[in-house]
Amino acid sequence: MMISRRIWQKRPPTSSWIFLRPYTSQIAVPSPSPSLFPVQTPSLIGFLSSYAASSFRSVYKISSLEMPTMVSRCCYSNHALADLPASGIVDVPLAQTGEGIAECELLKWFVKEGDEIEEFQPLCAVQSDKATIEITSRYKGKVAQLLHAPGNIVKVGETLLKLVVGDSAVPTSSSDVLESVKPPGSENSPDSKLNKDTVGGVLATPAVRNLAKLYGINLNDVDGTGKDGRVLKEDVLKYAVQKGAADGPSAASVSADCREQLLGEEETYPQTFAEVKWYPDDKTVPLRGFQRTMVKTMSMAAKIPHFHYVEEINCDALVKLKASFQNNNSDPNIKHTFLPSLIKSLSMAMSKYPFMNSCFNEESLEVILKGSHNIGIAMATQHGLAVPNIKNVQSLSILEITKELSRLQQLAKDNELNPADNSGGTITLSNIGAIGGKFGAPLLNLPEVAIIAMGRIEKVPRLSDDGNVYPSSIMTVNIGADHRVLDGATVAKFCNEWKQLIENPELLLLQMR
Amino acid sequence: MMIQQQGKKVGLPLMNLVRLNRTPILKQLHLEEKLLRKSSTNWCIINDGTDTPAIVMGISGKPSELLEIGSVLRDQVPVIKRFTGGGTVVVDKGTVFVTLICNKDDVPGVQPYPRSIMSWSGLLYNQVFKGIADFQLRENDYVFGNRKFGGNAQSITKNRWIHHTSFLWDYAEGNMAFLKQPARAPEYRM
Repeated sequence: MMISRRIWQKRPPTSSWIFLRPYTSQIAVPSPSPSLFPVQTPSLIGFLSSYAASSFRSVYKISSLEMPTMVSRCCYSNHALADLPASGIVDVPLAQTGEGIAECELLKWFVKEGDEIEEFQPLCAVQSDKATIEITSRYKGKVAQLLHAPGNIVKVGETLLKLVVGDSAVPTSSSDVLESVKPPGSENSPDSKLNKDTVGGVLATPAVRNLAKLYGINLNDVDGTGKDGRVLKEDVLKYAVQKGAADGPSAASVSADCREQLLGEEETYPQTFAEVKWYPDDKTVPLRGFQRTMVKTMSMAAKIPHFHYVEEINCDALVKLKASFQNNNSDPNIKHTFLPSLIKSLSMAMSKYPFMNSCFNEESLEVILKGSHNIGIAMATQHGLAVPNIKNVQSLSILEITKELSRLQQLAKDNELNPADNSGGTITLSNIGAIGGKFGAPLLNLPEVAIIAMGRIEKVPRLSDDGNVYPSSIMTVNIGADHRVLDGATVAKFCNEWKQLIENPELLLLQMR
Repeated sequence: MMIQQQGKKVGLPLMNLVRLNRTPILKQLHLEEKLLRKSSTNWCIINDGTDTPAIVMGISGKPSELLEIGSVLRDQVPVIKRFTGGGTVVVDKGTVFVTLICNKDDVPGVQPYPRSIMSWSGLLYNQVFKGIADFQLRENDYVFGNRKFGGNAQSITKNRWIHHTSFLWDYAEGNMAFLKQPARAPEYRM
């Protein structure tokens, strides 16, 4: 015992800094249970040297694994030993329970004054908010005085009780005080908890192993500063920092401050794990709502034989028309865009080519020519693709279409479209150009037989008849059609009609009722 | 034991699952306390509802502060004080109880402290309620948005901890009248 004491006093251990911290910091973190610590003065230095510890490696086995990650606490005992007042009485305060709260209610004592207590014996139960917590003793000793009664509110840091820690009973802590160490050859069942049967026989707790795994660190590469060369959490983090691995807050530096933070911030422990990931994890997103519907509808659409017809439409007149609407707009709530004019001219063209506005019944091989022009407008919302339709466009004016479109857009944005808005469509327009792209090859919105994707209106150079270059606003459209019902000629003729109405909007007046 | 070791290696605690249906809450609490103190393995207990409505208070609950005593006595509602901390809840057949009892070293990354345990359980229930109504752990409560729908409590002993939750899958509004507004409320509800 004397020899060991001398050695203990030789060199300050690297991991002893923890104990110099005032108890109000969250030193209790990796401890097995919120333990009680004696009051310490900053001038004390732990005398245990890691070298000394390793020199005992061959002689002593780990006796108790109650504090697997904090073998460095071994110096704690010596710490107290060095500082023990002559009377041997130690003030035991309520340590931080890790909830960041300032006080707990003392529920009951498990010991009374005069009781002899063992290391790790439960002393009392306290309650903080949601949890009842058993406080165990770090010391073997005798209860000198209980300072609180059950029902009292005890502030964190306040002394709970006084213990007599005699010199024959060196305050034993986790597994390193010499008296409590078992003679070599005897194995405690708790030993197996330490997972000694690991690669290269590296000693480390499951929590430390997990941390090393997270950083992709081989424990064999890490110098363990704990007893018997045990690898502690700080060892892994220090190694990770040196490796340039860590970028999370808990492994930012190996400074004492950081140590305190990482030891103290156990409430952010799981989040810290998430922050410092090396390899991004896959994320599984279950499809719901619009996205789920899209899976079904598109799978069915893919079975239909599509063909696609592409055409360029000159939008110069449309641009002028929109400008005119806007300039003569007296209602501030209305915003004029290209879409309502395109929708109305589409409806007009469909009146001449009713097959474009139809449904196909596979079983009976019948085509139903729909009376109403319920034109669906594809909308990209944050919830997914929504396709509400404007009913009876054939009976609506461009202004009415503008208002209805605006109403549907707002509902779609708020995810408040009702089923009636989404059903009953007879043809679909997809203004993908509003986002970007020249044109797309859209898939049918069943049970419709046609869908039109419109690209951006782009200003491009065109050649006039006399060879001059002039600018022109051109929009490319792609009409997707069900080839079981429509053929190329029908679609082409329909498209020509529609193109003519867009390029010459005054023609709309001819058919206006 | 081998399986337990292997479970630990992949970072997952091996748990015994107990599924109960309409087991009286007092009986469930007896079972839980016994398992916490006497067993050395991990347990997950799920009880789908309790047989009759009951009021369950935390270990330091004072009936005069927490309950409308007159109504409770008149309706003869059983009042139970459990062994864990936390607040008061009225439970009935519409309550789903989920309890986790673990050895302190068996769940990687979880320290035997309330905050650490709840951070872990919060992640677990995040998986359960994924995509549903904005589930989150707020302070100490499980909420949808800012509406608490389950109460939590824990007890932490030397080597083990228990975390149990009463999820109010459904509840009778009238029963809530037995409880007073608690003196302390979490920040998010202010």
